[in-house]
Parts: sequence; C-alpha cells; structure tokens
Amino acid sequence: MISSSFRAGVKAAVPIWIAYIPTSFTLGIAAKAYGLHMGEIVLMSALVFASPAQFAALEPLASGKPALQILLITFLINLRFVVMSATIAPYFGRVRRAALVLSSHLISISTFIIPYVHFQKQPREQVGADAIEEWGKSNFHYFLGLAATSISVWVAGTGFGYWAALHVPPGFEEGLKFMLPGYFACLLAVDLKGKGALLIGVASFLAAVPGALLNTNWGWLVTALAIGTAGWGIEKWIRRGPR
Amino acid sequence: MGLVSYLMRALPQLFLAGRSFPDAFERYLRYLSYALIASIISTSLFLAGPRFEAAAAPHRALALIGALLVASWTGKPLFGMLAGALLAQTLPWLAG
Repeated sequence: MISSSFRAGVKAAVPIWIAYIPTSFTLGIAAKAYGLHMGEIVLMSALVFASPAQFAALEPLASGKPALQILLITFLINLRFVVMSATIAPYFGRVRRAALVLSSHLISISTFIIPYVHFQKQPREQVGADAIEEWGKSNFHYFLGLAATSISVWVAGTGFGYWAALHVPPGFEEGLKFMLPGYFACLLAVDLKGKGALLIGVASFLAAVPGALLNTNWGWLVTALAIGTAGWGIEKWIRRGPR
Repeated sequence: MGLVSYLMRALPQLFLAGRSFPDAFERYLRYLSYALIASIISTSLFLAGPRFEAAAAPHRALALIGALLVASWTGKPLFGMLAGALLAQTLPWLAG
C-alpha cells in the first residue's frame, strides 16, 4: 500500500519534473554534441544523477582526459552532497540504515531542497520522543515519493532529449535556463524565515559569482561555507550578548 | 563517477541518521544549506562554466526579481518560476 506521505512526496515533485525536463533535455543535446552514445548518457544520468557534475564531465569524457581527472571533477562538484545528506539525515529518524544508504543515491539539489523545506515546516511539538519512529518513516516515504519519481523523469528526459530536443525550435534557451534556479529562488523566497537566514541567503547569492570567478571549482562552495559559518557565528555571538 | 557521487551521499546517511544534533549545530547546518542553495541559484543564473554572462545578467536579474515578487505575492513558488521563465524569455526580445 502506498502511504499518504509517499503520495504527498509525488505531488510535491511535480515542479521538479517540470524543471527537470528542459535541463535533462539540454543534457541530452550536449551529450550528443560531445559524441556520447545514448546508452552512455542515460546510464550516467541514472548512476550520477547530478546535472552540474554531468555537464562538467562531458568535455573531459569526450576529449579522453584521464579517469582520475573526471573523478576529481565529480568529487569537487558533488562535495555539496555531503552537507545535504548530513543535513537531511536527522529527519529520517530511526529508518533502517540499509534503506537510507540505498536511497541516498536519490539526493540531488532539487530532491534535497523541497523535502528539507517541507520538514522544516513541521511543528516541533509533533516530533516527540514517542512518535520519532513514525515521524522518520513518514519523512522517508515523502522523500522517496519525491525523489524516485524525479530521478525517473531525469533519466527519461535525458534519453528523450538526446534525440528529440534537437527539433525544439531555437530561441527558447533563456526561459529554459531560468527554470531550475528560478524555482529554487522562489522556494526560498516563500519559505525562508528570519533576518539571519535572509541575510545569509542574500550575501551568499551576491558573493557566489565573484567567488566562482576567483576559483571555478572551489570558489562558490568556499564562499557559501564561509558566509553560512560567519552568519551562524555572528548570530550566536549576538544571542549571547545580553547575558 | 557514479561511485564517487554515491559515496558522498551515502556516508553521511550511514553515520549521521537518527542522531539528534544540538540546536546550535542544526541551525548551523540550516544556514549552510541556505548559503549553498543561494550560491547555486546565483552561479546557475549568471555563469556559463567559468565565464560571467555579462550580456544576459541584467535580464536574468530582472526576471529573478519578477519571479520572487510573484512567488511572494501568491505564496506559490511554481507561479513565480513560470513568471520568471516567461520574463527571462521575453526581456531580451523586448530589449531588441
């Protein structure tokens, strides 16, 4: 029987599907342009499920760069998954480790943000010690419903894009490029609460591009980690002040 | 590539699931993720690889502002995204 949490996750995934279609389409086109076979890019989408790393790996793969270099690029770009996975893990309560480890492959930027925002909105008083197992299971089912359908759309979209997106009329690139980051920004705009969090978000947004221009691989990530840490430290210091 | 991506997702789940963190640490992780998401939005919108897309940046910034206004006004992120995508598509055309 499909749980109501799973169904809620599937419903919440609809905007991700809409946003994934153009991105996966574009990935399919890029893969074809770089000379990959359809099976290769579809398998990559299923096994990697991370668009920035996949886009970044296309050129080294096509030009026959060493495997170590491709692995290093994947590691650097996917470093954010460590933080995302660690951040979302406590919300799954006491769900069995094997299930968590298997399902962790489904964590991506989108499948992290929406469940995370959803879990954040849960009232704290409902998360008592007695109900922690049920709470974790419900969150896990929500995540599965959202993420399993999203990866399916991602993989199918990549394959479909490989052969079909070449026939999309040119001139729609701007709208397509905007969809995924635009959706993330709107999610944050609706759900981000508190001056501290807002300031951290705005500062990170403004500093990311200069950071990335200083260092393509590490710049934006280091900047984000520094601003998040500094914001947290300042807030902690201010809270401690009146004592 | 798949294995590296998988391990980076799986190891925190393996070692951190079910643990309750102190409030301050939870807040720290939350702030880190806000910073991370905001950075991803910014770099996705304004960079093409290592290059700043200066010509497209004003239109995309305006589209983003429009999207945020619609999302805040309606309370629906999807409406905001669609409005922003429409603006991102039409602004360069309107500007000639």
